[in-house]
Amino acid sequence: MTEKKDIFILGIESSCDETSASIVKNGTEELATTISSQIDIHKDFGGVVPEIASRHHVKNITFILEECLEKAKMKMEDIDAIAITYGPGLIGSLLIGLEAAKTLSFLYNKLLIPVHHIAGHIYANSLVKELNFPLLAVVVSGGHTELIEMTDHFQFKKLGGTLDDAIGECYDKVARVMGLEYPGGPKLDKLALEGKITYKLPVPLKDDSYNFSFSGLKSAVINLVHNEEQRGNPLRNADLAASFQKVAVESITSKVRKAIKDKNIKNVILAGGVAANKILRASIQNLSDELNVQLSIPPMKYCTDNAAMIAAAGYYAYKNGRISNLNLNSKSQDTLN
Amino acid sequence: MRYLYIDTSSSYLYTAIVEDNKLLSEIREEFGQSLSEIALPKIVSMFKENNLLAKDINKIIVVNGPGSFTGIRIGVTIAKVYAWSLDIPITTITSLEAMAISSRNDKVHIPLINARRGFVFAAIYDENNKQIMKPQHIKLEALLDEAKKLPNYEFISNDTFEELEHISNYSPDYLKIISNFKDKEEINPHLINPDYLKLTEAEESKK
Repeated sequence: MTEKKDIFILGIESSCDETSASIVKNGTEELATTISSQIDIHKDFGGVVPEIASRHHVKNITFILEECLEKAKMKMEDIDAIAITYGPGLIGSLLIGLEAAKTLSFLYNKLLIPVHHIAGHIYANSLVKELNFPLLAVVVSGGHTELIEMTDHFQFKKLGGTLDDAIGECYDKVARVMGLEYPGGPKLDKLALEGKITYKLPVPLKDDSYNFSFSGLKSAVINLVHNEEQRGNPLRNADLAASFQKVAVESITSKVRKAIKDKNIKNVILAGGVAANKILRASIQNLSDELNVQLSIPPMKYCTDNAAMIAAAGYYAYKNGRISNLNLNSKSQDTLN
Repeated sequence: MRYLYIDTSSSYLYTAIVEDNKLLSEIREEFGQSLSEIALPKIVSMFKENNLLAKDINKIIVVNGPGSFTGIRIGVTIAKVYAWSLDIPITTITSLEAMAISSRNDKVHIPLINARRGFVFAAIYDENNKQIMKPQHIKLEALLDEAKKLPNYEFISNDTFEELEHISNYSPDYLKIISNFKDKEEINPHLINPDYLKLTEAEESKK
């Protein structure tokens, strides 16, 4: 009885356009992960089409689960609990993972652990390095821009967030105006490295809050592009990308600086799809060095949606007794708490 | 032989466990939006009623459409994960077949489901349930034109249509459905998918 038993969590994620399953040991060791991405399918439509995404999830779900178990050389019987992204996300997509998780929970009499998608992005870091509290999670993705303070495992306090567009959404829209193919955010990031900061853009929401606003910046870029077009000036895409990035990243960094100081933060975590952004990474790295706090940036493979992060978060949720019955439902929106 | 039947293609949950020719448990209840929450717990409650385990099922028959896209996916996901994971034979039938088979009238059966904007999902079966018109997404007017060519028919639906005076309500006859389809060829669970009979709007506007 004295020997500590290993805990194996099966994570399932289907909140947007990736169907993914993963098995993680003790919240830190990834044994196997399978992902089916639909990026190429949605590219033709300039963004994720919810109904198409749902249709692909249902096609993929058993393949993804089977491959994951095979890769880990495990059977469902070896799993201790099933962690599932219950929200937020596209409701039709979420439901496929949810029904699969609930069914497996019934078939094998396994505990069901609901995991908030953002908790997953934060806990992606526990697959790399132990979390150190008090912690500040900088969640930046296509759907989120939030600063979250954590005083312990699964103790979340939202300090602030975007008042309008998410940063990733803003990136994709700006990229679209510049004629970059969906998903344009990463392409814009790459292009910015070749450009100079020549265009003047407004720094959004320079105030004393922890909030962000990106719709004004987005509009400023759209107006700038239209004005240049009307004047017949050729658009210097790389310079515009660089100028836009500078302002967007500065806005995030200044609020992160304030939070680190105010809340006595020991560990900053960058989480979400935009955590892959090179200039944002560099800027937060410099800030962390300057203020002498630990910085955790997940490897690229954990920046996009994946089930490993859900299984990792699921382990700590399990330890915190966050268990659900089979009446669990998906939620397109829900506060992290 | 024990059969599990699942149909979540409408706002109703239609599910049953049948043992040979005996109905062990059944549910026919409208849940609407909460179907995703309630479907699995309700199915589980039938197992508990009969002291059955998940592995005690010998075959799963799931309705894979047409109907509510989200609804179909709920039942299909439960059924395919179940069949794949426990290696249980599985097959699909259409909601329209289930509607026709369940009819007590000795007429041509025209099951139909409202697909909005003047369209329906419909099929036509003769008195012996032989298919006359295959399940399709069709303008209601066009369906009515087809119907006029037929001698003695009934419309079966749980939806209402201004254009139709008499509609027989649908309530599944689980024993008839199971006995009709229990020997239908099994399908690899990985390949069990909804048959929506309609492209998504995004795909249609791209055509």
